[in-house]
Amino acid sequence: MAYEITLITTMAISILFALSLNFITGFCGQISLGHAAFMGVGAYTSAVMIKAGCPFLLTIPFAGTFAGLLGVLVGFASLRVRHDFLAITTMGVVFLFVGLVRQQEFLGGEIGISGIRGSPFGRIGFMCICLGLAAGFAMFSLAIKRSWMGYVFASIADNEDISRVLGIDVSKYKLIAFVVGTSTAGIAGALYTQHFRFVGPDSFGFVESITVLAMVIVGGIGSVWGVAVAAAFLSVMPLLFQFVNDFKILVYGALLFCMMRWAPDGFAGIISRWIKRLRSTS
Amino acid sequence: MLYLELFFQGIVQGSIYALIALGLTLVYGLLRILHVAHAALFTLGGYLGVIVTNATGSFLLATAVAMIVVGFVGIAVYKLAYEPLLSKPPFISLIASIALFIASEEIFRIIFGPYGLSYTNPPMQGYFELFGGFFLKYGEALVIVLSVVMLVILGWFAATTRLGVSWRATVTDPDMARAFGINTQNVRYMNFFIGSALAAAAGVLVAMLNNLVEPSMGSVASYKALAIIVLGGLGSIRGTLIAAMAIGIIESFGTIYIGHLLDRDALAFAFLIVVLMIRPQGLLGAK
Amino acid sequence: MKIKSKLMMATVCLASIASSSIADNIKVGFNVPLTGFAAADGTSALNGAELAVEQINSAGGINGDIIELVVYDDQASPKESVPIAQKLIESDNVVAAVSGSYSGATRAAAGIFQESGVPYISAYAIHPDITRAGDYVFRTSFVGEVQGRAGAKLAGEMLGLKKAVVVTLQNDFGKSLVAGFKEVSANYGIDIVGEYEYSIKDRQFGPIVSKIRADNPDVIYATGYFFTAGPLVSQLRAAGITTTIIGQEGYDSQKFIDIAGTAAEGTIITTSLDRDSTAVETQDFITAFEAKSGNKTDMVAASAHTAIKVLAAALQSSGDADRAALRDAIAGTQLTASTGDISFNDLGEVQKSVQVQVVKDGQWHHHSVIHDAALLAPPTE
Repeated sequence: MAYEITLITTMAISILFALSLNFITGFCGQISLGHAAFMGVGAYTSAVMIKAGCPFLLTIPFAGTFAGLLGVLVGFASLRVRHDFLAITTMGVVFLFVGLVRQQEFLGGEIGISGIRGSPFGRIGFMCICLGLAAGFAMFSLAIKRSWMGYVFASIADNEDISRVLGIDVSKYKLIAFVVGTSTAGIAGALYTQHFRFVGPDSFGFVESITVLAMVIVGGIGSVWGVAVAAAFLSVMPLLFQFVNDFKILVYGALLFCMMRWAPDGFAGIISRWIKRLRSTS
Repeated sequence: MLYLELFFQGIVQGSIYALIALGLTLVYGLLRILHVAHAALFTLGGYLGVIVTNATGSFLLATAVAMIVVGFVGIAVYKLAYEPLLSKPPFISLIASIALFIASEEIFRIIFGPYGLSYTNPPMQGYFELFGGFFLKYGEALVIVLSVVMLVILGWFAATTRLGVSWRATVTDPDMARAFGINTQNVRYMNFFIGSALAAAAGVLVAMLNNLVEPSMGSVASYKALAIIVLGGLGSIRGTLIAAMAIGIIESFGTIYIGHLLDRDALAFAFLIVVLMIRPQGLLGAK
Repeated sequence: MKIKSKLMMATVCLASIASSSIADNIKVGFNVPLTGFAAADGTSALNGAELAVEQINSAGGINGDIIELVVYDDQASPKESVPIAQKLIESDNVVAAVSGSYSGATRAAAGIFQESGVPYISAYAIHPDITRAGDYVFRTSFVGEVQGRAGAKLAGEMLGLKKAVVVTLQNDFGKSLVAGFKEVSANYGIDIVGEYEYSIKDRQFGPIVSKIRADNPDVIYATGYFFTAGPLVSQLRAAGITTTIIGQEGYDSQKFIDIAGTAAEGTIITTSLDRDSTAVETQDFITAFEAKSGNKTDMVAASAHTAIKVLAAALQSSGDADRAALRDAIAGTQLTASTGDISFNDLGEVQKSVQVQVVKDGQWHHHSVIHDAALLAPPTE
């Protein structure tokens, strides 16, 4: 049973993480190639606090806040550079994060931080917390999407310049998107720390950033349901595919490529086309 | 003398970066796609270089074979991955490119094994000792010479030959070029061929400098080249060359003197971010 | 009809008796990186472990039962090793497990095994916190600091080289080795005139080579794996630097010599495997491994082989008893394996001498042995 609980918890954390990126990239159209850095900030914050004796729940708001602070910085950068330049800048952020973290002894340096206490709520209790947070943020995302803020985000994602001409304060909304998305990633990071009980500089790098971006795009960029499903599936795929053993990563790459080639609007696109087909036949 | 040597080491590394990043710039300039899978072509070039040299004993032949074969593979990648996705938003081809790169690393590992390959008779061993104790290895000198030669040839090609001119025209204004009867499809093929061949050359040179090719040797190139073309100002060839040299030199001095603060990649990206904050369009980008 | 049905019944009975007397397999978990950046070491480790299992099974197994290795690829990532640990414990019901993986993955998994009371032996991961996970976790290889200290003694006292340059690989392996080296370097009169770092992805060391030439040391203490050390040593020699180079077990593979070629001659390393050893266990291992895998042995394979042998010996002596008894049996190990005489201290750290090997005529050969118990004492808590 504990194995299944672990899988579900992993999925829940990945869903939260992917939805947080969806907020920035899917809703507001800002491509980020460095999202794992924010999860890393949250994870390390939580780890340091827990080792210092803080109760786990207390670390969550701190993790979110510190990640959000970095998010504000990157958000301001996003005002300065656009599109492809922004994507690469965010990539730079995650490399800088990893490069700095691995040299700081108080963060464990290369060795990382280990021996983190288990959750006081037990495995199942912690799983419920993660599921609750993931579901909560999903609801929140859906609510925002249907609100006026969601429309503003969509307008900015579609065409920034026209949005500005229409009188929208593009800068303010971009910053909001970044702050919400990155602080949520920080919270996901705190959950990660409690779940794996080990954080190291190699856990939150470029590869992880690409993986979460892939989850968003495979899900269907902007679609809350699609991204959640994609995140759940992709996060445990290596484990499900253990039987393929040596060929795991090859299968992952091939599947991802085929998705892009033949279903670029992701799971959301596949489902909506399927529903349309059902409706038209009935 | 040490500073001069470090500077030259930076030029050597910068030349390799330039050869790789150039292909990336060519693709971006033409199609606005971030061609991450380009690094897989770099790796393939390296493997072919070692395999052909070990089989035939001729490093020169190996280089030629690698460049030509990989040039065509580059065209295949375009047809397989990018052509069908041209009408989609660019992040689709970005993820497709990344997926292709991930798969390629695994294919190399499965076919050639995880341990990597080495030359049985490594070429270009030995070094020059010049004025006042300045050392430069044969291999390093070859890298600089070969890079310069290739870039000069490329420049001549683009400026004087018919193909080259139509290529430049298409990059500048595809619709106008088509109106003039230029076959943009062929230009695209040529674009990928040239870029990929240069990457293959870089792979062969790196294999010669390190005496090792590995399945994951392209991983640094995959993101470093992106940083370089952005630093140069996306789409500007001159910018890419300058950015490549700049990063090479910064890394060379940086790893020695501030290596304990930041690692190589962090250094390169820190430099990139600083420049972009001052000049958001990159060194030579259009405003 | 009656005879036929009687015959059928007899057959069924015989079949069921036969199947119930087929021995139960003893399942041993093994997490190892088979894909990703660490695939080279993982493949070697797996070969070493599989060889050990084959040898044990063909010699009669554990009191008649054969060992079954349950292998999962963890990509050297803690994100993968944690659920793998749980799967091994719950779905596969392994009696114990061995880690053929790197430190991050092993450390994360160790916590899971400790909590569930399943003995876990780390073959070659270097993170000091691995054994601190608890009394069910053991390590058959050196902690980084211990090997680093041995390197300092080798350089300063045994070779008499005092002016050193230290080149550090930026990961837990490289850093802990250098920490050990620097901890005692002054005791041997070593003066460190330059310290440089590089990333695990680097293969081009031009700037470091130039700087080292300017430093002009007597000895270069460089940490790394064969795929970084090979290019580094090759480039140092190609630049005309003839200084003695001292490495560690990360170099310990024929691949290092393949990459560096003639430049590898004279490179000295601290490690656990003595290829010239007259010990039967070591020679048997070397011959058998080369026959099985077609490659020459390396430290990773030897360590995984040793870990399995230690576990098997403990399984033998603890019989069919529970995991706690198995744990105690492991703790009391006194075994001579391919990597030396294995016994554990209270923390589960191994206590053994350091082998020093040197490259001569394109092969690894015996150079010396370091027996200093006080210097090589592993951490006890």
